[in-house]
Formats: sequence, C-alpha cells, structure tokens
Amino acid sequence: MNKKIGFTCAYTPVPLIEAAGFFPYRILPETKAPDQAGHLLHDNLCPHVKKVLDRALENDLPDLEGMVFINSCDTMRRLADAWQVARPDDKIILIDLPSGMNRLSLDFLSKEYERLSRTLFKWNDQTLEPEIISEKIKEKIFQWNLLADSIKKIEEKMTNDFFPGYASGLQQIINTAATESIDQALAMAKSKIEPENPCKSLTAPVFVFGNLLFDPKVYDLFEEWNVQVVGTDFCTSSRFVTRIQTGPDDNIFRSLAHSYLKQTPCARTMDTTIPGSIAQRIVERAKKSNAKGVIGFTLKFCDPYLARIPMIRQALQKESIPFLMLEGDCTEGSMGQQQTRIEAFTEMLEV
Amino acid sequence: MMYEHFDNTVKGIKDKLSQDPSGINARKKYVLELSRLGRKLYTKNETIAWCGVTAPFDLLSSMGVTSCFVEFVGAMLASTQTAGFFFEDAEDAGFATDSCAYHRAVMGAVLKNAMPEPDFIIGTSSPCTAGLAVMENFANQYKKDFFILNVPQNYSKDAIRFLSNQIEELTHFVSAHTKEPLSKEKLGMALENFNQSSKLLRDIYDLAKTKPSPVDNRLLRDFGVVMTLLMGTREGIDICQAFKDELNQRIKTSRHHASKEKTRLMWIQNRIQYPFPMDKMLDDLGAKIVIDELNTVTWEPMDPDNPFESIAKRMISIPFSMDTSKRIKNMQTLALDYQIDGAINPCHWGCRQGTGARGLVSKGMRDIDIPVLNLEIDCVDSRNLARGQIETRVEAFMEMLS
Ligand code: SF4
Ligand code: SF4
Repeated sequence: MNKKIGFTCAYTPVPLIEAAGFFPYRILPETKAPDQAGHLLHDNLCPHVKKVLDRALENDLPDLEGMVFINSCDTMRRLADAWQVARPDDKIILIDLPSGMNRLSLDFLSKEYERLSRTLFKWNDQTLEPEIISEKIKEKIFQWNLLADSIKKIEEKMTNDFFPGYASGLQQIINTAATESIDQALAMAKSKIEPENPCKSLTAPVFVFGNLLFDPKVYDLFEEWNVQVVGTDFCTSSRFVTRIQTGPDDNIFRSLAHSYLKQTPCARTMDTTIPGSIAQRIVERAKKSNAKGVIGFTLKFCDPYLARIPMIRQALQKESIPFLMLEGDCTEGSMGQQQTRIEAFTEMLEV
Repeated sequence: MMYEHFDNTVKGIKDKLSQDPSGINARKKYVLELSRLGRKLYTKNETIAWCGVTAPFDLLSSMGVTSCFVEFVGAMLASTQTAGFFFEDAEDAGFATDSCAYHRAVMGAVLKNAMPEPDFIIGTSSPCTAGLAVMENFANQYKKDFFILNVPQNYSKDAIRFLSNQIEELTHFVSAHTKEPLSKEKLGMALENFNQSSKLLRDIYDLAKTKPSPVDNRLLRDFGVVMTLLMGTREGIDICQAFKDELNQRIKTSRHHASKEKTRLMWIQNRIQYPFPMDKMLDDLGAKIVIDELNTVTWEPMDPDNPFESIAKRMISIPFSMDTSKRIKNMQTLALDYQIDGAINPCHWGCRQGTGARGLVSKGMRDIDIPVLNLEIDCVDSRNLARGQIETRVEAFMEMLS
C-alpha cells in the first residue's frame, strides 16, 4: 500500500521517511481550495503556509499516515498549531530545528532526527533493532545521494549551456522526489540527464534565489522572457535534495544533521561566526554560475528572507551584480505579473 | 537623543522624590529603574549587549553586562513619537513594511547611528523568527560577535539539556568579552533576586485577581515582559515590593476605581506603544484590563545549584515559546482565574508569532465563552492608524459585553 507522510519543509530528511516504509509527500502550496487559512491563523502569513493550510482545510490532500512539521520559522510553527485544529485525527510530529550551526546544534538536531525516525517506524508499527534501522536508512541515503549527484550534474550542465526546457525538467525531477519517491525521481533524472533539445544561446544568464519556486512552468516562462537560469537557491530546488555525507562509522543521524545544517542552509539558518553569510553565499554562487544578474523571488510576509534582503542587496551592489527583487505568492500567475519587470531586467543585462 | 530622554526622566523622577520621598508610586519607581538602565545603555565604558526578548538578563547582569532586548528601544521610540523618523530609513534600506515595526524602528535607529554600539549581540529564537533575523542584521551592521540561544518548543529532556548547554556556553562567550570569569556567587545572588522577584510577582498577580481589581488600565501594562530586564537585581525586588504594597494599599483604602469596574478584560500580548488613548477610552467605558496575557509566572524557582538548567526551563516555559494550544490553555486559565468578561487582541501587524495565531486564539477563548475583540492595528507604527474605526469597534465590543 502506498502510505504517505506529509511534510512541508526542506529540512525534512526524505530518506528517513522512506526507510520507515512510507512515501514522502511534500505539500506544495498549489491549490484551487478557497482562501480560508486566514480565519484560523491570520492573513499576514506567507502564502506558502496559508495555501498548505487551505489544502488541509479543504481536504485537498492524498491520504496521509502522518505529518512531519519542522520548527523552521514562526509561520511554520503556527501551521503545526493550526493543523491540530484543522485535522485533529492526524498524527503529527514537530521537529525543533536550531538556527545556529555549532556543535550543540548539530548534537541536538541529530537527536531530533533520531526521534523523527523512531516515530516514523512506530507509525508504521515496526519495532526493529537499531542496526537494522540504521541499515535501512543507509540504503535510502545511498539512493538519495545518487539522485543528488544526478541533480548536481544537471545543474552543472545548466550553468555551462542553455538547453530549452532543461530547467523545468529539473524542477519536475525534484518535485517527484518530494511528492512520489526517490526511485521515481532517480529514474526521471537518468532519462533527463541528457538534454532533449540542442544547446542554444541566451544572453541573460541569471541566478535565482528565494524561498519557494516549485512550478516547472515558471521556468518555461523564464525562457520565454529570455532568462537563462544558470543557478538556483530555493527550498524547493536542488537545495531540497541535500547530499548526505556519511562515513563508514558515522552515526547516521549525526550525518543527516551535519548535512542539513551545514550544506544547505536557507535564510533561517545562520553561521554566527559570519553574520549575514547568506549574502556572501548568494554572491559567490552567482559568480560561480557566471550569472550576469540575480533575481530574488520571495513570498510576501516571509520574515526569514525579507529581513535578509537588505544585506543581500548590499553585498550584490558591492560586487556590481545587478539585482531584481520580486515579491509575490506561489503561483505561476503571480510570476506572470512580473513579466515586464523581468524583461526590462534581462534587457538591461544584455546591454 | 535617547540618552537625553532617559536622563531627563531619571532627573525628573529624582527631583520629585527629593521634594516628597513618600510621594513616589510603584510605577514611577519602575520607570525610574528602566530609565537608569536606558541611560546606562547609552553610556560609554559599559559592556553592552543587545539581545533578543527572552535572553537571560539576570545571568548577564551577574556578569557585569548591561543588556536589553532591542524591542524595548522600538517601544521607547514609539512612545516618544520618534519612531516614524526611523521607519523611513529602515524601509529605504529595504526592510519590508509588512515586517514587525518594533524591528523596523530599531533597524532604522541602527542605520541612523542612533543606537549605542554593543560589545556583542545575543539573539534568541523565542519569541520570534523576525527578532532573530534582526539580531543577525545588528551583528552584520556592527561587525560584532554574535551568539544565538535556540529555544526549542518541545519541553523534553533533550530540549532542556540543549538550551542549558547553550546557556553555559553563553557564559564562556560573555567571559571572553568581559575578561571576567563567571562568578558562581554573583550568579547565585542574581538567581536569588530573581526568585524573590518571582514570588512577589505571583503575589502582585494574585492581588490583581481581587474583585474589584486594584489595578487600573495603566498600572501593569507590559509589566511581565519588561520586568525581566530587572529581575536579577536588588532594584527589581524593590520594584516588585512597591507594586505589591501599592496594590495592598489600594485594596485597603478602596482607592482602586472599584465603581468603574463594569467589565473585566484580558489584554493579549503587548500593548499599543505610541500615545493612543486606549486606557482612557476603556476607563470611560468602565472597562478594566485586569490581566495582560504575559503577566504570568510560568516557571519554577531558579535552582542556584543548577543554574543553567533552571534558566533553560524558564525560557521554554514562557508563553512566547509555547505552541498555540499550550498558550491558549494558559490564557484560558488566566481568563477563569481573573474572571474576565472579554479579551482584546491587538493583532500587531507584522507579528507572525503572536498575531499569526489570531484565529486559534479566538476559537480557544470562544470555547470557554470569552469573546475576543481582534483589533487590526500596528502597535508601534502609527502611520496608518484608523483611530476612529478602532474606537468604534472598542465601544461596540464593550456594549456587547455589558
Ligand atoms: S520560511 Fe518563509 S516561506 Fe517558508 S514557511 Fe517560513 S515564512 Fe513561509
Ligand atoms: S511583536 Fe511579534 S514579531 Fe514583533 S517582536 Fe514581538 S513577537 Fe516578534
């Protein structure tokens, strides 16, 4: 039976879900459900969480065996709270996610991931020896890392050349990993790794970052508007498929914690030794991908990103990298409204 | 500018005190101590730490650090009607108008060089993500060392150990800056002071429950949150004692607006910080805020033999760190203990932490038959204040309750 575990945040390790015998189902904020989350929470929350809650309220979801929430920001915390009211019969776990990356944070997150794994096995009525659990997780991590490697290769190709439809294809693979299974995503990645269309040339290579951009059609729109996406940093893009570094004797949960905290930090996770490091990271990634400009796309009311935009803007300005900042909700339509601004930006880059 | 404001307040209250030593009430004493703290923050040669709201100020003061949460300054700027001047700077630099105005005000002040430069910065993940983000901005702007206290939401052994280890590590971080090791004795004294203040706080809150209540609409506004800045000190105990004495005196002499208490109210989260005649309006309508949600003692006494764990448990226990179902249970208990008729929730624009739970809070209070008035208002930024609308809604709510 295809038993699914719902989740909403990129810090949820999919290999843990699959090792416990479930399929992952990331609840993406895409729905025709009426807008009603504001009644249960408030309207000044990001459209990501509001739309996910709208889906829950309207039962626009597949059958779920349970929900994994991550305490990644206040809005996510509130979503977990609202879920208990909207779907009181659902099994829920909330994982505390530290904001820092130091030793204590790593220790704690590894315990949290261990708690998650224990809970997932319990939800599936499985009582197994820790060694067997560890083996099962390692097997899934192996598959996951194959996927991460394939995605990396696709991204490298994207950075070097422009293949029409390739960026949207990549998003489809990532969405499959998030909503179907690692195996299916891996099969897709293998078939898509060689571009279907010959390489063309576009003149506006752009690095795109922000919180969520999951709709493959948006990447097609970018191409129509002459934007060549040479790199991305979204919690729905390749950052979601974090490669998990493991050594033969490593504690598996520690490896997970290390990989998730250190390798793929988003705006809500910070290195206290370099305050504002997100800005440097974006500058470096933009440069590495040979982008001529950077587009930031963040959702309205998203504190973690919006509060870092001034630092990012400043860092890009210092490097004379043109920056376009867009704010909206998660829909293709909202991106459509930005067409004029994006086209004006790419025209400016081409000069 | 802020130094002058705090200095003038200190001088004004001290003058009054010298003319009439017995004429100073509890609230004045409290304002005097806060102004002294404010003045110290703006004084050179102090070791200054800008912090998140839930930082352990008792621990920091025992280590010789003058510390304060930045939202306190945001509130001061609003109350002195100077915040507007700073919002524009923050917004011009790209801080979203939809963000919390406590933060926008202080970020503007940082950008305008109107904040004292700290020696280091301590962010806390509770109460809010936005607060932590602002602390990172501070650290980036001032190029100062930055420490984060992650306050988990789950009250588990692992969570408590995690936070208590972080607090211990914080003491090393602070020592590295002050060049003074932690003195167990001084910390013990601070915790002892904290315990005495906590005991007095419980007494104060118990007295406020009396029917009719001896509090008025101003007396305990934002008291619970702001008092944490002083609770590890001797002065903190004196202030709490003064409030307790004043409430006892009011009950004894019936000098406590008893006749005006037609409606008993709870105020949810923080008050409105800029001059807005809400208190007067409520006075005129015979409504009395007998309890502010955050005026509550949720922690056990601090154990000086186990200081870090005690502080950790305290930090996890407060409403800011709770999940909403626990927060609502806490509010329901307060509602019953204080026998309130209704609650006002100023849904501070930009606050995902508190305002984000608006619908759940209303539902939770409805479950115990307590109506809630949700006021869509920015408690710090008065630029878009729809004053007439707010007044009409408050009046209608009071009418409905009566
Ligand atoms: S990080 Fe931003 S987009 Fe994601 S849930 Fe939090 S507020 Fe919403
Ligand atoms: S009002 Fe809300 S967002 Fe603003 S500082 Fe307080 S908890 Fe944080």
